[in-house]
Order: sequence, then structure tokens, then C-alpha cells
Amino acid sequence: MLGRPDIRLVVIVAVALVAVFALPMLTSERYLLRVFTFVGVNVIIITGMALLFGYAGQVSLGHAAFYGIGAYASAFAVINLGWPWPAGVALAIVLTAAGGFLLALPSLRLKGHYLAMATLGFGEIMKVAFVEARPVTGGPDGLSGIPYPAIGPFEFDTAGLAYWLVWGVAAVALLLAYNVVRSRAGRAMRALHGSELGATACGIDITGIKVRVFVISASLAGLAGALYAHVVGFVSPSTFSLHVSVLLVAMAVLGGTGSLAGPVIATVLLTLIPYSDAVIPGLSRSALETIQEWQEDIYGLTIIAVMLFVPGGIGSLIRRMAPGRGEAR
Amino acid sequence: MSSESSAALEISGLSAGYGRVEVLRDIDLTVARGEMVTLIGANGAGKSTLLKAVVGLVAPSAGSVRLFGADVTRMSPERAVREGLALVPEGRMLFGPMSVEENLRLGAHTRSAEEFSAERDRVFELFPVLSERRGQSAATLSGGEQQMLAVGRALMAQPRMLLLDEPSLGLAPRIIAEIFAALETLRSRGITILLVEQDARLALKHADRGYVMRTGSIALHGAADELLANDDIRLIYLGAWRGEGE
Repeated sequence: MLGRPDIRLVVIVAVALVAVFALPMLTSERYLLRVFTFVGVNVIIITGMALLFGYAGQVSLGHAAFYGIGAYASAFAVINLGWPWPAGVALAIVLTAAGGFLLALPSLRLKGHYLAMATLGFGEIMKVAFVEARPVTGGPDGLSGIPYPAIGPFEFDTAGLAYWLVWGVAAVALLLAYNVVRSRAGRAMRALHGSELGATACGIDITGIKVRVFVISASLAGLAGALYAHVVGFVSPSTFSLHVSVLLVAMAVLGGTGSLAGPVIATVLLTLIPYSDAVIPGLSRSALETIQEWQEDIYGLTIIAVMLFVPGGIGSLIRRMAPGRGEAR
Repeated sequence: MSSESSAALEISGLSAGYGRVEVLRDIDLTVARGEMVTLIGANGAGKSTLLKAVVGLVAPSAGSVRLFGADVTRMSPERAVREGLALVPEGRMLFGPMSVEENLRLGAHTRSAEEFSAERDRVFELFPVLSERRGQSAATLSGGEQQMLAVGRALMAQPRMLLLDEPSLGLAPRIIAEIFAALETLRSRGITILLVEQDARLALKHADRGYVMRTGSIALHGAADELLANDDIRLIYLGAWRGEGE
């Protein structure tokens, strides 16, 4: 029914995979690996956002909260409860899945701007909770000394190992998402985006789809949080603020609807902006500081420019370059 | 005129509305198997709301809806589709960026993948122009082609009963004739049809019977040719109607 994946797609994905996984063998520079580990964490979150926003057409300005819930849950479980890291990850996923279910409820009644406002409210409430729930979150100071991710006796305690762990998870998340969007459920998600009434008339259970896609995207953000906390070793409320939610929306918008590759490329580009010195050798310190100072404005202008000039985002550019490519159809 | 077993659709004492606003009051309406029945009336009379209440998009506050003898009152829309009831919504509600073929695939959402090709070919037989446009996105079709696709998409669910909301809206007479010819073909295949139309004359020419709605109630019903000959109907819905809605 769905046909085989395009051979060119297979080649591109294979080359990208090799390049991504070879990086720690080509460089031993910790900073570069750290920066690209952040990129990987964001790719995991954006995989869920691509399903939620790009396929199902649901807006969320609250996904940084799930990222935070995942990070705090796993850190707390490992530090204070003495749980092994995989159990912390499981807790992060369960809590964020439950949160995603709750956030899906307003989406059943609200659309567009109203849904954006409701999810924004959720994000802000959680941010306050991160600051106030001192016994769990450490309040404004955050939690530090979070141990490295470890599976049994094996610790991911170098920059290279952390990088591989994060990108391994990102690759699996993308593969699962790819299978979802190519399935009947994925087509139904895009239908929801096109017309809810039309989708209902086709016998599509739009309530079920909305709930599922909110749960999936929330738990992917939670999973990313559980990776982030242990890779970085420190979490504080500012990491999970509205700013991050907006950044995620910027990545999703720049990436474009009905695409997975587009949002991934957008995530790489936007994540690298404040760390430009890692990829542009010889970038002066003052130039970097200017970029960092204008970071928010760059994100904002990116959203506006994409909306105006390339409403389909990077995804539509990919489709234009390679018409008939498998992904979105 | 209809015992429960012979009726495709039997609406009795149905009331419904949005929030506290009651739009439908005590509606009785029956469509026999294989019949084409039209529901006419001015803008805001409640025609679309009645269709929505039948498919479960609006929850009735009283009354019942039976489909081929089975109670479907308050059934969710996706269940209603599985029970053999398909709606062609007002304004078509197609999936614009998707191709004609994908729209049809979504219409077959409740059906198994194996049934798709055969059913799609039947739709292409009914509307050959859709076959020519199968790879084109729905948004780039003409209004008439879009309406054909909306009907085709509904047929992909293999309904026993088809509900259509204003299929002639905004279309040229030649296209309207084509769509109504297709509806006649569907009726001859045994699909029961309930048609909401603003163009009362057109609808009554094709239908077996008609119901006239006025401010949320059924004002009048009867055989289509009787309604066409009825002086009040001619005056209100076929004459003055042509110019502008109430």
C-alpha cells in the first residue's frame, strides 16, 4: 500500500547517519561534541513537534515544560531516590505522557490561537512550579551534580559517548516517527491538519489522534529532558522557559509542515546559532557575542520571514528539489 | 408510510442546538431505502444542523435517529461512518494540499486497504475527470471538480446512505447537472440519499420527496412534484427565493 522508500532517500539517510555517528571519531574537541549533543537533544524534541505541528496541525507553546518535567523527573529519581538512570528515563516518559494527555484535552475544544494561549499558560504554570517546588527541583538554583547516564555498570561519561547516546536515541525517534507518518495514522493526522470536519466525515477519530499525538510529542520532549539533565549534569528553570518553547515553534515553522527532514535541518541550523564559533573557525569573540545578544530576534525574524516568503518551510524546498520523494506522501 | 424495517433513516422528535440556543425543534423525517429526499428551506432554517445532528456532530437534546433500524442517536461521527452513513459537508472540506488520490484514500479510512483500488475505480468511473487529476492537489481543482471529489471521498467509505449539504453551491449550471446526474446514478445503485439544497427547484426536480424547513421545524413535506406545484412553495422558495435568502 505504501510502496518502498525512494532509493535516493535511503542513500541520503545512510550518508547522514554515517556522518553523524563518525563525528566523535573525527574530532576530539569537547566543545564541538557538546554543541552537537545539544543539537541531538533538540532533534528528539523536534521529532515530536514535527508530528504535532507539522503533521497534525496542533500548536503548542508549552513543550519546554515537558522538556523540563522530563529533566527534573529523571534527575530527582536518580539523585534523591537512587534509581538507575533507565528508571529515571521511564519516569520522565510516564509523567510527560500523562502531561501530554492533559494538554490534549483543551486541544479538543480549542484551535489555532486559542490552543496556543492554553498551551502557553500550561508552560508558564510549569515554569513557576519548577521555581517553587524546591524540594524536587532545587528552586531557582536548580539541581547540580546529576550523574552521567548509565546503563548498568556502563557510564556514558565522555563527550563522545554522550554524543552517541543522544544521537542514537534521536535516530530511533526519527525512525519511529517516519513509520508513523507513512502509516494510515499519519495520513489521518495530515487530514486533521487539512480540515477537521472533512476528517470527521471520513470516519477519522480526531479526538483519538489529537490525544495520541500530544502524548507522543510530550513524551519525546520528556525523553530529551532526561538525556539533557544527565549529559549536562545541571538543570535550572531558565533552561525550560517560554523562550525554549518559542525556539521549538521556530524550528517547526522553519522546518515546514508535512516533513520530518525539514524540521531536523531547521533544528540543526537554529541550535547552532548561539554556538556559531563551534562550526565557524576563527569567528571573533565580539561577533559571537553579537549573535548571542540578537539570538531571540534572529528566531523571531526567522519565523516572520518563513511565514512571508516560504510558508512551506524547508520541507517544501526539499519537496521542490526532489519531487515525488517518499516522505510526505 | 414507513415501518421501521423499510426506512433507511428515521428521525423522530429530534431537537438539537448549540449551547442554550435551540436550532431544531421536534423534527420528524423519514427516508425510505433507495429514496432520494431533499430538505429545502431558507438560510438559517436549520438544515445543516439537522444533518450534523444525524451524523453526530451536534448532540441532540431530545428525540432519536435510526439508521436501517439501528439506533444511532448520539453515536460519534466516526461510528456513524462505519454504520454506513457518509456526509458530504457544506464547503466540501477537502484536504487541500493532498492529491486527489490521497483524498480518496482518506475517504476509505474506515475500509481495509484491499478494498481501496476497486472502490477508487468506481469513483473514477462516476467522475472521469478525477481520474485525470488523480495526482493533482485538491486545492488546485476547479469548484466543480472539488465537489465531485467531495462526493467521491464520501463514496469511498462505501455508504448505504449519503447525506449531501449544498452540493450545488457556487457551481455553474452545467457542472450542477453533472453532479445531479451522478446522484441519480448512485440512487440507481441503491444508495439512499438525503440532500440539503438552497436551490429548491433543482432539488425537487431530482428528488422523490421533499421536506421544507422553517426556523428549526418541518413546515411541510410531500412528494417532490406536489411541492413543485404547491403555490406557497412556488411563491416563497421557488420565486422570491431565487433572489436572496431571508
